[in-house]
Amino acid sequence: MKQTNTYIIVYSIVLVVVVAVVLSLVTLWLTPRQQSNVQAEKMSDILGSVGLYDAQKASEADDKNEYIKELYAKYIIESFLVDSKGNKIAGSEKEAFMALGNLKAEFAKPESERRLPVFVSKNGAGQVNYIFPVYGAGLWGPIWGYISLATNLDTVDGAVFDHKGETPGLGAEIANPPFQKQFIGKSLFDGASFVGISVTKGVGSSSGNPHAVDAVSGGTITSRGVQSMIKDCLGDYEPFLVKYGVKH
Amino acid sequence: MSNKDKEPLFSAKNMKLLTGPLGSGNPVTVQILGICSALAVTAKLQPALVMALSVTVVTAFSNLILSLMRNTIPSRIRIIVQLVVVAALVILVDQVLKAFVYDVSKQLSVFVGLIITNCIVMGRIEAFALGNKPWPAFLDGVGNGLGYGMILVILGFFRELLGAGTLWGYRVIPESFYAHGYSNNGLMLLPPMALICVGVIIWIHRSRNKNLCE
Amino acid sequence: MENILSIFVKSIFIDNMVFAFFFGMCSYIAVSKSVKTAMGLGLAVTFVMVVTVPVNYILNKYVLSTGALSWLGERYATIDLSFLSLIVFIAVVASIVQIVEMVVEKFAPALYSQLGIFLPLIAVNCAILGGSLFMQERDYLNVGEASAFALGSGIGWWLAIVAMAAIREKITYSHVPAPLRGVGITFILTGLMGLAFMSFMGIQL
Repeated sequence: MKQTNTYIIVYSIVLVVVVAVVLSLVTLWLTPRQQSNVQAEKMSDILGSVGLYDAQKASEADDKNEYIKELYAKYIIESFLVDSKGNKIAGSEKEAFMALGNLKAEFAKPESERRLPVFVSKNGAGQVNYIFPVYGAGLWGPIWGYISLATNLDTVDGAVFDHKGETPGLGAEIANPPFQKQFIGKSLFDGASFVGISVTKGVGSSSGNPHAVDAVSGGTITSRGVQSMIKDCLGDYEPFLVKYGVKH
Repeated sequence: MSNKDKEPLFSAKNMKLLTGPLGSGNPVTVQILGICSALAVTAKLQPALVMALSVTVVTAFSNLILSLMRNTIPSRIRIIVQLVVVAALVILVDQVLKAFVYDVSKQLSVFVGLIITNCIVMGRIEAFALGNKPWPAFLDGVGNGLGYGMILVILGFFRELLGAGTLWGYRVIPESFYAHGYSNNGLMLLPPMALICVGVIIWIHRSRNKNLCE
Repeated sequence: MENILSIFVKSIFIDNMVFAFFFGMCSYIAVSKSVKTAMGLGLAVTFVMVVTVPVNYILNKYVLSTGALSWLGERYATIDLSFLSLIVFIAVVASIVQIVEMVVEKFAPALYSQLGIFLPLIAVNCAILGGSLFMQERDYLNVGEASAFALGSGIGWWLAIVAMAAIREKITYSHVPAPLRGVGITFILTGLMGLAFMSFMGIQL
């Protein structure tokens, strides 16, 4: 067969064009679905931190993403950004959710430029919660989560965590209810000073301590990551917590 | 099969292509191909199965497509043409996973992309697809994909069962076992155990097929 | 600077390409029979890694990721080409390997005679593509961090294959059960070495 340079060049151009067209078409077709998945996951995490999301029910729904969006619209009554002084930024309703996609960069900014998102939920019984995103590093990669606080902005009402690639069965347990339930009722402030929630090694080692939970067994580094994530990220919200909380 | 003059679609020879890799010609334990990255996803059964299916789809269709193209590919840019076709298929698989089984695709992360450099794919294209007709090439791809997937699923099964006491995320080891002092072997979930398990599988496989011993 | 050093050390010992992620296992198993060839392949992998990861980093940052094209003007700020990243990365790897091969052959024939046979192998070595994909996933802040990661991962891979080859040279004198001889025992050894490397995980950097 004749294989001149012209043939090779024409061949590769045709190949590249065909491949590019096929891939672009498929991506155009699938992107809305993918984005809706990502969005729904964030919404379900936010709702999960106040115990308003039931994975079982969601997977039974005809359209899981639609179901989650409806729940979100029903229970999340307010969302806004706060600046480094703890002031709400007016008119930042939409940007708050967008900011979730960019958390790492936002927490890395110098303090005066930070704009951090807060979500407010109200459940069927009229209970109001403030929900804060947190972001940090585990053993293998990023970990993140949402912490919900009662209106005194001190008591934790719930927490969800997720991770990119922690060891299944060990570090990855932070994404499961047994670990997350421990956070309920813990408090962030000791008197007037912000202490966060520490993660202590050994089952039962944290009992009676209002500022600590048990680490995941076999997942020490991941647990430590959770501890510093809460301390650093919620620490960045401290001006807001102090300003709007009732106790301080 | 409608056309009696032609070789039937599932002739003995073609069936051999499909079943060979599941036994004595297994790509992982015999040909030592494609152990690479995919083992990292076998800590649980579900991602292992999804990975197995993805690899099968990629090997089957890359074999089919390149076999169709085999007489037109300029030999000087052969490798890069193969890479482009395989990469395109992998991107398709990746996009589909992200759109339809988002939870699993999160767990697989970069490892779907690494199917491109999985030696099984390139190995079968070079060794089989470029010299054979599309249909046998397709069967060869499916067979090798399944043979490889089989190892992943076996690993996923034992690692999840022994390491976490669950299968497919459901608890299968009854609570009463734990009450009597049984506990999960967390070691099974760590990456190095995947390698040791493959070693053991090769051991068992070769003790049954003595002619494969080195 | 401190950060770069920590990424470097971390990618050699803690996130070792072979022991933690199984990257490049095919060539790792095939070429670890003698220390000499293992040295050659290790060097080649490190070299290609250090060249390709920063190039892919720049491509990813200024062409592929969401909003990366904003330097072209406002209109391009929302384009997301990240679905093409796989194909771009592999093309970059394949062509850089080709270029490196030609350059080394022309200017350093002695080195070429050592590395030459390994270079084509490297185009499909998962460690190289894996390096680029991890670089993308871990969001390194600048080229310096990405290069430190590349160098560390390359050296980690090198270390792993040379250590393995040394063990395999010795093990030929041992009585390994016949079905386990060769590949089987290599897997188990790699697993055990991986366990040993896990003890580095406690190091806080």
